Amino acid sequence: MELLLWAERRKLRRSKILWIAGFATVMVALIVFAQGQFTFYESRYIDGAGWFMTAAQSLATFYVLPAVIALLGSYMICREEQEDTLKSLRLIPVDEVKLTLSKMVLALVFSVLIYLLLFAITFLVEAVLHFEALSIGLVLENLKTYLLDGIGVFLAISPIIALVARMKKGYWLALVFAEIYSFAGLFASMSSQLKTVYPMTAVFNISGYYDANMVQVFIGIIVLLACAALALFILKGLNRKAK
Amino acid sequence: MLKLIQVEFLKLRRRKFIWLMLLAALFMPLAAVFYFASVKGTGVEPIEFYKWTAFSYTPWIILPVVLGMLCTMLMYNENQYDMLKQLWIVPVNKMAYFFSKFAVVLVYSVCFMLITAAASILTGVLPGYIAFDSGSVLYLLRKCMEISLLTAFAVLPILAAAAAQKGYILPVCLTLVYTFLGFILLMVNMYLHPLSSMTAIVMRDIPGVVITQPLNIPGAFLCIGVWGVASVLLAGAALKKRK
Repeated sequence: MELLLWAERRKLRRSKILWIAGFATVMVALIVFAQGQFTFYESRYIDGAGWFMTAAQSLATFYVLPAVIALLGSYMICREEQEDTLKSLRLIPVDEVKLTLSKMVLALVFSVLIYLLLFAITFLVEAVLHFEALSIGLVLENLKTYLLDGIGVFLAISPIIALVARMKKGYWLALVFAEIYSFAGLFASMSSQLKTVYPMTAVFNISGYYDANMVQVFIGIIVLLACAALALFILKGLNRKAK
Repeated sequence: MLKLIQVEFLKLRRRKFIWLMLLAALFMPLAAVFYFASVKGTGVEPIEFYKWTAFSYTPWIILPVVLGMLCTMLMYNENQYDMLKQLWIVPVNKMAYFFSKFAVVLVYSVCFMLITAAASILTGVLPGYIAFDSGSVLYLLRKCMEISLLTAFAVLPILAAAAAQKGYILPVCLTLVYTFLGFILLMVNMYLHPLSSMTAIVMRDIPGVVITQPLNIPGAFLCIGVWGVASVLLAGAALKKRK
């Protein structure tokens, strides 16, 4: 397993996708910064301490990052099939479930890294604009939100990545599914019952972006674990199909 | 040119995924049904209902993302199977090739909005939320036509980016960022981004829409035109340079 993880990391070294994912993250931060220039009751959004950090993580999660993470995961999985390296890997032999699992682990790591990158950007901007207004508690609170978002978003979209691994060549589907799935979270957040069980908004309940009581957080954790279990279940069928 | 367009459509025939993407048109009408069922109840103004189903998130987010995906797929198709060389040998004019792809995007966009319109009428009339009258239906159809034609032109930059690239990852991430940028700029400055300019043009005579910025229709057309021409030039240059 360690060997597979190491190999996956080496494979990504020359691929452009990490740069592109980073570029998408930076762009999101820039765009939200542009939105911060909007004035509302005589004060700019961006002038409020903590606004940028909070707004960037929620907007990015609803509109952009889940699709980017799904793309990252499905790209890693589909390229073996597409570049015809899967046959050579099967000859070694490499267990396909383990291979996919190590790719998933790497996708989880990148999901967290992408969110941390976004956090670093937003924190630096906030620090440049008004360092004295930031308290340590606020910053740590946001760091926790971003970290949990990164893990939670990956768990929420893991069934989609697993499904793509099962179908092969269907990475387009992963993207559209992930985009619609995260976007539907906007509507799910309108009703309080749906908000608790919908995976994308459950992530917010857990990360502390929404004010949630213990029961809601607990349900959210169960929902996300169910997503992960579903992903594992889909992956389990992978080997049988390959034969 | 007409023959090229015909060939493009023939290529699409067997691609199931393109047809599956049309299902995204049903998303907002279905969301509207749930929304009105829980919040408003029956006897809604037809325009009010259509504003939810067809004039809100569909032109802002869903349609641009779907069209961007389509652009990438159309351009990637030839690259993936290394058909482009043979096309240049035929010879196919490079600009004619680009515009035949654009024709597909245009027609697809019109189909998408027609489906949205039909679904809006069906989901509104069948459960009895709105009364069926020809005035509002004609208005809906006219608006949907406006949206579909303008959005097709507004995604020209993505088509150009896809033409200039061999891979699919950059254009796809660009689609997400581009759409998100257009959505956020709606509140900041409408006349910088083709998608927000498109919204400005479409929203000009929808009753009950409050626009904070002064309406400048020629400016919006100018913005879409400038971006469109720039991307056609870019695509031309990129395609000429590529072997």
